[in-house]
Amino acid sequence: MNRLEEMLLEMKDTSEFMLDLAYSSLIYNNEEIAEEVMFMAESMEDLYSRIQELAVEIGTSKPEEVARIVVAVRLQASIKSIADAAKSIADVVLRGLGKHPVLAMSIKESETTISLAKVAESSVLNGKTFAETRLSTQCGMFVIAIKRNREYIFGPGKGPTVRAGDILIANGPEEGVSYFRGLADGTEKDLSL
Amino acid sequence: MADPEEYTNLDHIEMTVRELLTEMKDTSEVIVDLAYAALMYNSEDMAEKVNELEKKIDNLNFAIRFKVLLSSRTREDAKQLSGLLQVASAANKISDAAADMVDLLNLPLERRPFVSAMLHESDEKIRATRIGPQSSMAGYTIGKLGIEACTGCRIIALKSRQGWIYDPEDEVKIRAGDDIIVRGTEDGYNQLTEYAAGRKPWEFPEIPEGEEETTPQEEAASINSEEKVSE
Repeated sequence: MNRLEEMLLEMKDTSEFMLDLAYSSLIYNNEEIAEEVMFMAESMEDLYSRIQELAVEIGTSKPEEVARIVVAVRLQASIKSIADAAKSIADVVLRGLGKHPVLAMSIKESETTISLAKVAESSVLNGKTFAETRLSTQCGMFVIAIKRNREYIFGPGKGPTVRAGDILIANGPEEGVSYFRGLADGTEKDLSL
Repeated sequence: MADPEEYTNLDHIEMTVRELLTEMKDTSEVIVDLAYAALMYNSEDMAEKVNELEKKIDNLNFAIRFKVLLSSRTREDAKQLSGLLQVASAANKISDAAADMVDLLNLPLERRPFVSAMLHESDEKIRATRIGPQSSMAGYTIGKLGIEACTGCRIIALKSRQGWIYDPEDEVKIRAGDDIIVRGTEDGYNQLTEYAAGRKPWEFPEIPEGEEETTPQEEAASINSEEKVSE
């Protein structure tokens, strides 16, 4: 992949993550998560202008590439709109307009829902890295943030180790929720499948 | 009250505001997956479905605006309901973006070979696999299998002998020979292909009984600071 494609891909992945976070901020009416969406929106702006500059640069030095560049530029505009939509969802929370119960319920009832689980001392997840837990493959639940003490770790991905006391915020299908909670509270020990 | 004759002909008007918003959120997620899949597989059919869903969201958005405006009585209503409308219009914006994406299919194919290569490297990948004759998934519905809960892969589209089904419902049955297009992680996809090819028997998820329902508000108490929750 060349640099333009790498940046475009980063925009795509970021836009999806922003949307997951935005809905999480809305379901829990949580300003800290909403703030993170705003923070990511800034890095999106930055990526957006860098892609534009690079596109112009390539277009002027290699005119044969222009047709291809047009596709990239149009695609990034669409991706940017998705990020903007995420931003305007987080904005509802930051304006203090996120209290209407219908907002939280509509996310709760949707096909991809969001759920919280606190990791117990006796949990099989305790002490494992996210890569080891393979949570999303096990139960379809994808951890988008951890609240550890007063801090948040956003997009833990394959990085940190799960600790007792962590609150995991995950999205996924309704059917995966109880298994996910069971793994976290220590009642479900089977992580093998 | 207004004469019901005047608005009962609006699409989706029989749905509640909560149902409308849920439907808009779900559709806005499906439509983006489908748009990326259309670009990856260069599929006019999927692009057409994207445009269809985009029109559906337009109608849902209209219905929700209409119902919300009808229900606003006080200043406080207006304040809370305007937040709701902002979320609805975000879903609408997402669907517009998806429709713009599939417009790229109108450009000659040789100009966009990098798009599918790029999407292939994404965190959540869109991939296709076939249900083999030996697969123990065959004969069961998507809901019974609990495919997303078991593998993290969500079926975006399914091709059976009858043709394509986009965003198939839980009631749709998987049959040997079907092609499915899914979205999920690499790990989840690898697991799914084992089941689909029949190399591993499907493990049915346990359906939890009498599940304790927690409301989002109750859950929120564990992450939000106390002064905000007490409000």
